[in-house]
Amino acid sequence: MSIPSYATHNPRANCRSSAYLDWLQMLSGACLVIFMIMHLFFVGSVIISPSLMNGLSDVFEWTGMAQIGGPVIFFLLLLHFVLAARKIPFASKQQGIMLADARRMHHLDTWLWVIQAVSGMVILVMGSIHLWTVLTDLPITAEKNAMRLRDSAGWVSFYVVFIPIVWLHTGIGFYRIMVKWGVVGIDGRSSLRQKDALVVAAAMIIGFATLLRFIFLSK
Amino acid sequence: MARTLTFSIFRYNPQDPASVPHMQEFRLEETESMTLFIALNRLREEQDHSLQFDFCCRAAICGACAMVINGRPGLACHSKTKDYPDKITLMPLPVFKLIGDLSVDTGTWFRGMAKRVESWCHTKKIFDPTAQEERMDNALAERIYELDRCVECGCCVAACGTALMRDDFLGAVALNRVARFVLDPRDERSEQDYFDIIGTDEGVFGCMGLLGCQDVCPKSLPLQEVLGKLRLKMAFAAANHLLPRFLRREIKL
Repeated sequence: MSIPSYATHNPRANCRSSAYLDWLQMLSGACLVIFMIMHLFFVGSVIISPSLMNGLSDVFEWTGMAQIGGPVIFFLLLLHFVLAARKIPFASKQQGIMLADARRMHHLDTWLWVIQAVSGMVILVMGSIHLWTVLTDLPITAEKNAMRLRDSAGWVSFYVVFIPIVWLHTGIGFYRIMVKWGVVGIDGRSSLRQKDALVVAAAMIIGFATLLRFIFLSK
Repeated sequence: MARTLTFSIFRYNPQDPASVPHMQEFRLEETESMTLFIALNRLREEQDHSLQFDFCCRAAICGACAMVINGRPGLACHSKTKDYPDKITLMPLPVFKLIGDLSVDTGTWFRGMAKRVESWCHTKKIFDPTAQEERMDNALAERIYELDRCVECGCCVAACGTALMRDDFLGAVALNRVARFVLDPRDERSEQDYFDIIGTDEGVFGCMGLLGCQDVCPKSLPLQEVLGKLRLKMAFAAANHLLPRFLRREIKL
């Protein structure tokens, strides 16, 4: 039965917090999408030349973007997680209902949400490790990254898992913002999904190419 | 060659203490242009008189025959057997109270929904039976009618992961209903009035954008667009007073 689950003395439940939190969830997500694209171009520049990446890194260092921007991104990541987690069921019964629904319906968009929820948890842990490692060892240079990856199979396998998960989450997140906030209509949905998948695939390829470039750098 | 269809149908009578929920299999020869409406009626007539299911109009107008067909909610009268594999599984709609087998009570839920969103024109004008009826722009009337085509079958609620998880979530049908009154110039409710009804986590901000509603709606209502625009409208309604003038928006549905 759909009746309000609580009573209130205030006849007007004039509370805007749900709206603000939804705004923040979307905006923090959108900022992180933009950041991820910039991040891709920044580290991807090593494919062209390590000195290009180091040059960009110097700019971030001089302007303070690495020292201040880095922790801001870290904060955004945590904020986005907390806001999005409000929608993720914590009780196993509800999780079971959601999974059963996605399975029974064979419904892509419900599955996309499940992927978002799971990948979000993984990114919280792996992203924190990645950010902590990079930000406690500034400035970022191609050589330092190369050293880290050359010396350790652990770090390589870390990024082999981390890169696809991050891009999956970023791509699906972008698509979901577009359909949830009415930016894309019914007709545009499937073509958006296809284009989005192409961009995600391209980002993953560039990501792995970057990883390989670091591993084989100056060898 | 006509196919022999196997129907796996949920059986349970909550009124009978001896009844246990289980799936029962039936076999039936497929005939031309067979719908699930035809199939179920034949099964009840020829094989098992105790099979419970709801039907009324057999033309996708009354919304009574909604059930879960091979995992997806849909109208039985609107579903041709030729579009399905040899085995068809039929379950009652979740969320709603089970009456027995495939029959559920959507009426009580929908009455609760209608009361919650106050699904009627709020006006202070006193009706004058002698006056000529007020005119409405035809394009606007058609836009209202487009959303008013909802038959209250309950498929969108049954397909919504959020509604399944949280029983206080309004669901697409309620948000669509509100949108219909937002469009209607005869309803004098303010944006704040609408915000009070749907501007919460049980309303439009609780929608997680799974779009199950859009993908199962037998009437193909534009639920994705309605929910998207309603979210944007309510989000700006809450934030406009904080925004600089050039960023403020009054979203039209």
